[in-house]
Amino acid sequence: MTRPDPKQVKAMTEVAGVPAEKEVAERIANSIGPAFDGFAPVAGTLPMDLEPASFLLVQRAKVSK
Amino acid sequence: MSGEPALMSLVSIAKAIAAKKFSSREVTQSCLDRIAQWQPRVNAFMAIEADAALAAADAADAALAKGRNQGVLHGVPLAHKDMYYDAGKVVTCGSKIRRDFVATTTSTALQRLKDAGSVRLGSLQMVEFAYGPTGHNVHYGAVRNPWNVDCITGGSSSGSGSAVAARLTFAALGSDTGGSIRMPAHFCGVTGFKTTVGLISRAGAMPLSQSLDTVGPLAQTVEDCALLVGLMAGADPEDPTASTLPVPNYMAATTGSLKGLKIGVPTAFYVDDLDSEVARVLDETIVTLRQEGAEIVKVELPDQRQLTAACQIVLATEAAAFHKRWMIERPQDYGAQVLMRLQNGLAIPGVTYLEALRWRGPALAAYLAAVTGTDAVIAPVAPMPAVTIAESDVGNSRDAEAVIQRITKFTRPINYLGLPSLSIPAGFTKSGLPVGMQLIGRAFDEAGLVRIGAAFQRASDYHQRVPKAA
Repeated sequence: MTRPDPKQVKAMTEVAGVPAEKEVAERIANSIGPAFDGFAPVAGTLPMDLEPASFLLVQRAKVSK
Repeated sequence: MSGEPALMSLVSIAKAIAAKKFSSREVTQSCLDRIAQWQPRVNAFMAIEADAALAAADAADAALAKGRNQGVLHGVPLAHKDMYYDAGKVVTCGSKIRRDFVATTTSTALQRLKDAGSVRLGSLQMVEFAYGPTGHNVHYGAVRNPWNVDCITGGSSSGSGSAVAARLTFAALGSDTGGSIRMPAHFCGVTGFKTTVGLISRAGAMPLSQSLDTVGPLAQTVEDCALLVGLMAGADPEDPTASTLPVPNYMAATTGSLKGLKIGVPTAFYVDDLDSEVARVLDETIVTLRQEGAEIVKVELPDQRQLTAACQIVLATEAAAFHKRWMIERPQDYGAQVLMRLQNGLAIPGVTYLEALRWRGPALAAYLAAVTGTDAVIAPVAPMPAVTIAESDVGNSRDAEAVIQRITKFTRPINYLGLPSLSIPAGFTKSGLPVGMQLIGRAFDEAGLVRIGAAFQRASDYHQRVPKAA
């Protein structure tokens, strides 16, 4: 996974229905880049059978012990 | 009974009113006197409802005279972060957009405190839509730290931290999505309790991120927080995501000793890049916990930077989704900083957002495996004490963004994991600014944190210190 560049950010904001100017897109790309970098080791590595609800299973399983 | 009632703890004043040692009117007037003294200096209140508060206090006194005690908070005046809906009241959410929004329902958390007999003093300031960590607010002015009014309170529960520290209210609701209870608690020198995600209903609380939002109190003491969490926790038909687990008696945990408990100290991340005075306070806190009987062990945690990144992805996406309509229709009515943060969520692909949610279970499992055998982990809330309002103002300082990133470094991983974290006053800097430490527990083990926090407060007096008005 790579961080989106300003051009990609601009396109995504347009698709989202809240289009950003070029300068804003550059600012967004700089601002969220570190989150993409930080999550890169995880992105694309998760097994197919993993649902978001697994969080609740882990959270509540520990309570019963 | 003599002395200034407003200086007493929540639990103490509730007992004093019930025993008719103070009337609710005397107590409410004491808070109003302090508000009149402090509000011009700290800007902690959004609205002060003096006449209505005194009328409600009189009603509480009249009821008590007839032998009717409504609950454990009978006649106790409180004010809360201005994002908890209270039917018929304006709830601004710290924003221009909701400057005139009148709630038609009352939040479950607030209703449960009302049902216990509390009296409304007014509402407290906050960061616009709870989306910022410092306490700046372009619409209503920055909230100021009572220990040094040039410094930030932390956010987003800025008014809650400031008002409790200055003893303007006995406690205040905050909310914690990325650190918004713990940071004001740390910077303002009060106790703050970020609860397990799902422990307390979020019905009628302004949403920011449905996966991360938590309700919790700020107050003088751990005992105060334990009382309030016990009142608010538990199943709620209005919020199907709220836990249906039985609510423990948290107050019973306030008397336990630390003998036999193990407290973990991280070997990395939470101990890196600390200001020297925060590092000193961490060391001193560990010494105190050990003296009180706890065994201190080192814990090697999984990479917390990945948790921070996942938290940012989830928070930004969900916040943007909540605000999309107003981002289209009323972008000019947001403060520039808040709009910028909201815009960030527009550029996160749906697959990335869902990956961040899917990883939450394995990430929590890995964390729990790393802390196996411990009862809690202790860590600083932030690497530094309160910075100045000027140096953290993104509009005026080039370094502000870096300062803001550093402020939130130690809180966001815990929100992603959904764990409870109790922030306790643990020391002061040489210049007189408070420093807090967070005790991080297992999911739904708030009682374990209460036990440790209360024992620490029996052995220290940092939570009893009160800032002086100049």
